[in-house]
Amino acid sequence: MLRPSLRTQLFSALLTIALVLAVWFAVAEYVSWLRGVDFPSPWTTGKALAALLAGKPLAAHSLYQHLIDSLCRWGGGFAIAAVAGLVYGLAAGCSDRLGRITLPIVHMLQLIPGLAWIPVALLLFGIGAKATVFMIAATAFAPIAINVTDGVKRVDATYLRAARMLGAGGWQLVGCVLLPGALPQILCGLRVGLGSGWRVLLAAEMIVGTGTGLGYAIIQSRWTLDYPAAFACMAVICVVGLLIEHGLFARLERATVTRWHLSSSV
Amino acid sequence: MIRLLEVSQRFPTADPAGAVAVLQQVNLQASPTEFVCLLGPSGCGKSTLLNLVAGFLRPSAGQVLFDGEPVCGAGPDRGVVFQDPTLFPWLTVAQNVAFGLKNMALAGTEIARRTEQWLQLVGLEQQGGVYPHELSGGMRQRVALARVMVLEPKALLMDEPFSALDANARERLQDQLLKVWAAQPRVVLFVTHQVEEAVYLADRVVIMGSPPNSVYEEVAIPLLRSRDRESPALRSLIKELRQRLGELPCCLGAGGLR
Repeated sequence: MLRPSLRTQLFSALLTIALVLAVWFAVAEYVSWLRGVDFPSPWTTGKALAALLAGKPLAAHSLYQHLIDSLCRWGGGFAIAAVAGLVYGLAAGCSDRLGRITLPIVHMLQLIPGLAWIPVALLLFGIGAKATVFMIAATAFAPIAINVTDGVKRVDATYLRAARMLGAGGWQLVGCVLLPGALPQILCGLRVGLGSGWRVLLAAEMIVGTGTGLGYAIIQSRWTLDYPAAFACMAVICVVGLLIEHGLFARLERATVTRWHLSSSV
Repeated sequence: MIRLLEVSQRFPTADPAGAVAVLQQVNLQASPTEFVCLLGPSGCGKSTLLNLVAGFLRPSAGQVLFDGEPVCGAGPDRGVVFQDPTLFPWLTVAQNVAFGLKNMALAGTEIARRTEQWLQLVGLEQQGGVYPHELSGGMRQRVALARVMVLEPKALLMDEPFSALDANARERLQDQLLKVWAAQPRVVLFVTHQVEEAVYLADRVVIMGSPPNSVYEEVAIPLLRSRDRESPALRSLIKELRQRLGELPCCLGAGGLR
């Protein structure tokens, strides 16, 4: 698999950014003209972002504080979901009976929109960070669990035969055969789980009074009519997402699945 | 020593009441250093027989004995080389060879030494660091051979290991296998559908047919080693075996993939 040259990649990235900015600019101009409101353009958003980055407080905290708090909640909830999803997926992938009985429940969980967990979270943990962490974990668990189960089930049975014949048993089968064999689907599940967790986190911060966090900051700047700051927060969210995808998942995938010539569409 | 006593194997069919008999009352014995080839049309149950000895399957009836003990489950004393090399794609060639050694209580230096030794014996000492997908089919099958031989198994079970290779690679691997076997003789069960391969490799060829004649005939190959592929004696044995095989239907019913 050949990767396009750095120059081509850079050029495509620049074109993508230009496209986003152009559409954004056009929409901003059009809405401002049509409705007479101040729709933040890329330019005003950039200025607001620069001010926030320079340390201007937003909803009583710095942008960095909001970002760090959001990331911590997200990381905590996601870590819980990832561990639970991996353990469940391995068990359900290995035991047909367990899978048959419990997978329908997991599929049902997947149908519950993240925000629908709010009453449950509030009842369990009250207002605060624990409730948001719970919501993230509850939302991210199902896609991770389903993908890991599927990946483990798809590991070629002859690999297991070969490993047993070579004297492997129990945990070696899990660590040396099932996990690497299921890695394409595991990565896919983690990706989906991370994304849905991120989205529900921001929504939860808007509704559950968390006091800090990017979602809280966005909703607060709406009350203060500071729309450029809200847009700046959205831009930060996009950058975080891109960094995770390219800095983490794409790298991880190249180092493993691509290098081993495993494909996720077996 | 491998011993099968009145072994039968049935597989369930789509119709819940029915079952396909793949092996029926097979009696077979192989002595500790014997090279036995199982020859027969596809679907006659030769792979099933091998899987029973390997411990991947349990017989529906009868007993499979290895060194006098009933076989239960697969283990490193019976090394299996599959038709597909089934190397672990996430491990390098050297890591694949070391896989079984790591399941034994061995020192790291000993694992490295034996891995290196077997990579050399199969001529892949340069390829230790690459991943299996970068190798040719023949090279992969040599790694598959090395990763079981490195464990010094008492028995070597091979399920059409060279059938996916081109003629040249196949002959080279046959010779390599014979060299390895001559240096460390042990019982080999080798499944093949090729008459030439069976006669060239085996001390004894077991021709397999459909139930109830699962073991159709056993033919000793009394030729001295190392053998010449073109010798008249070998060619005439091939001709004879081909005639025997011709008496059987060319392929048998369901269960061929077990």
